[in-house]
Amino acid sequence: MARSKNSVGVNRNLNPAINLFVCLFVFALTSQLSAAEWASLKGRFVFDGTPPAPVEITADKDVEVCGKHKLVNEELVVSDDMGIANVVLFVRSKGVTVHPDLEDGSKADPVILDNKDCRFQPHVGFVQTGQTLTIKNSDSVGHNSNIATMKNSPSNSLVPSNGSSDVTFSSDEAIPASVTCNIHPWMKAYLVIRPNPYGAVSGVDGSFEIENLPVGEELEFQLWHEKGGYLDEFTLGGKKASAKRGRIDFTVEEGGTDLGDIVVDAKMFN
Amino acid sequence: MNNVMAWCCAFGPVQRARVVSLLGLMCVVSASLLATGCGQTPAATFRLNLVESSKQQLTPSQEQQVATILAALFGTPDEPRVPPEINLDVAKLKLAAGPVRSDIVGRKNGLYREHCAHCHGVTGDGMGPTAAFLNPYPRDYRPGVFKFKSTERADKPTHSDLVMVLRKGLAGSSMPSFALLSDAKIDALAEYVKYLSVRGQVELSLMRAYFELDDEDEGVLPQSREFLFEEIIDPVTEMWAAADDAIIDVPDMPADLDMVASIAKGKELFYGNKANCVKCHGVSGLGDGQANDYDDWNKVVLQAQKTVDGGVKQAEKASTWDMSAEERDEHRTELAWLDRFETVLDGNALRPRMIRPRNLRQGVYRGGMRPLDLYYRIHAGINGAPMPAAKGTVPPEDIWHIVNYIKSLPYDFNGTLGVDRPMVARDRM
Repeated sequence: MARSKNSVGVNRNLNPAINLFVCLFVFALTSQLSAAEWASLKGRFVFDGTPPAPVEITADKDVEVCGKHKLVNEELVVSDDMGIANVVLFVRSKGVTVHPDLEDGSKADPVILDNKDCRFQPHVGFVQTGQTLTIKNSDSVGHNSNIATMKNSPSNSLVPSNGSSDVTFSSDEAIPASVTCNIHPWMKAYLVIRPNPYGAVSGVDGSFEIENLPVGEELEFQLWHEKGGYLDEFTLGGKKASAKRGRIDFTVEEGGTDLGDIVVDAKMFN
Repeated sequence: MNNVMAWCCAFGPVQRARVVSLLGLMCVVSASLLATGCGQTPAATFRLNLVESSKQQLTPSQEQQVATILAALFGTPDEPRVPPEINLDVAKLKLAAGPVRSDIVGRKNGLYREHCAHCHGVTGDGMGPTAAFLNPYPRDYRPGVFKFKSTERADKPTHSDLVMVLRKGLAGSSMPSFALLSDAKIDALAEYVKYLSVRGQVELSLMRAYFELDDEDEGVLPQSREFLFEEIIDPVTEMWAAADDAIIDVPDMPADLDMVASIAKGKELFYGNKANCVKCHGVSGLGDGQANDYDDWNKVVLQAQKTVDGGVKQAEKASTWDMSAEERDEHRTELAWLDRFETVLDGNALRPRMIRPRNLRQGVYRGGMRPLDLYYRIHAGINGAPMPAAKGTVPPEDIWHIVNYIKSLPYDFNGTLGVDRPMVARDRM
């Protein structure tokens, strides 16, 4: 895999003086090129086949509050124009060059995970290590958020009505972590926790955009969906593509790359 | 043999493969009986975490790699060893490990197998011979999660927490008190539990690491020391080393507390929206609120069962006629995996069982009945169980009020029984 070796990789063995020089040089170079160096990758996930009818959930806890909302199983959400929501696409390459403004997750705006209408909103969230995850509760009933992480300490805190609690993750997670509410067992969400800011979750219409990716760098991406798992077969630009374990390489071009429709067959979600 | 073939063919593809593997197993068993004879007991071995390896779809050679690494690091149930980087006392481990035996008059070795293995298993997987008959199931140490401790929710128990459980037992469960054992023996057993737990966590991390390999690794874990220690072992040992610093800071219960007022306040909190105890422990406090949940250990098996059931259903629907040769190969691999996974769940996992929120009217508390123990449970929640942490949401003085209310619940009465006889749990049931 072609990973661009940036200053960090190259100057490790050089003496401090040269080190400084290389740093200055690279700094000058990046500041000069910054306008053109970063671009976005976008596309849209499209469902091929007849989407299953949404399965209704009967709220049997806090019925007076949760029973009001028409709750459906959100494992697979397909829009009227066949867009697949909640598909995650993220950069898997460890050596990816990260935009200097985005390197530090703690400086990024917090990601909000709201307990609203007795469901988690959003259903799938993307969080960078160091970035704050704010768990809110906009409902009039109490919730708890049980985050089942593998490498980070798993947590399960009470989130009272109108309360909130902040969580940060120090390590990334290889597989998306589930978030559940033990009081309302139908509630489920997922968090994709990555060491860089490069990931996106497709919206209601199936479209996604990852901004500020390094131009010209071949990067390995991974695709994941709650029901479909790691999507390893789809049609891209009219051609069949296979991605072992959902892993596929893309290179973002200057001005941005639009992958167009990524068509996924219904059988992937069986 | 013809009969066997005909018998096999009476089953569908999934079951057929299963019968074949069963026959294979029988052959292995009889072969090993022939090899060892009936008079000798074969040396004890650690059982591989086959539920995880099946979940990760590891190949036999990958399972072998994991087993080899584990044996090199931790030795065997008879000859335990740990690398110096893992802070465990080998002398204590030796006292606890191995078959029950005595080398010096009055000193017995093999304490773990004498007292623990029949429930917790030689591997510490909570699947000893008696495990299936117990409710709740014995603890599986391998995920490194312990419920009853003085540390914050996600943190490891301290050594004294484990000693406490051994000494007092866990009221209301099958875990007895081992208070008759000497301090040195209990100490050795606590050390051995840590050893099995660390070993189990390292095993899980190794198995999960295959998923993150790049294509050029060709399905083999890196052989480097850096990988093994920095990626796998250090994160585990650091957590254990940090336990003593993670002890919950409990402010004293105010000495001049008006107990009647405190109980009333605790009741309000119990039913209130913030602490929300009522949702699971029920309006009655009998533990009859939210009662269709599982603990984390059972969830693993439940999830695996779902994967297998879903996969089998899908495989039965699939038509092999319109598949390309490549797709058919994939289909076959998938079937073989599902079949093995199913066999693994039959033989290496206990049937998932729901967890019940504690009945607070009985006055029986697994993790200890001291007000301090209840404070820990409410503050940190119960790791591995659905019980969430009140920390950060409910201030310490309010936690004390809830503790006082809960301590009053077994004696709560509504006036109909007469003041001379407080209501007991039996009356409520």
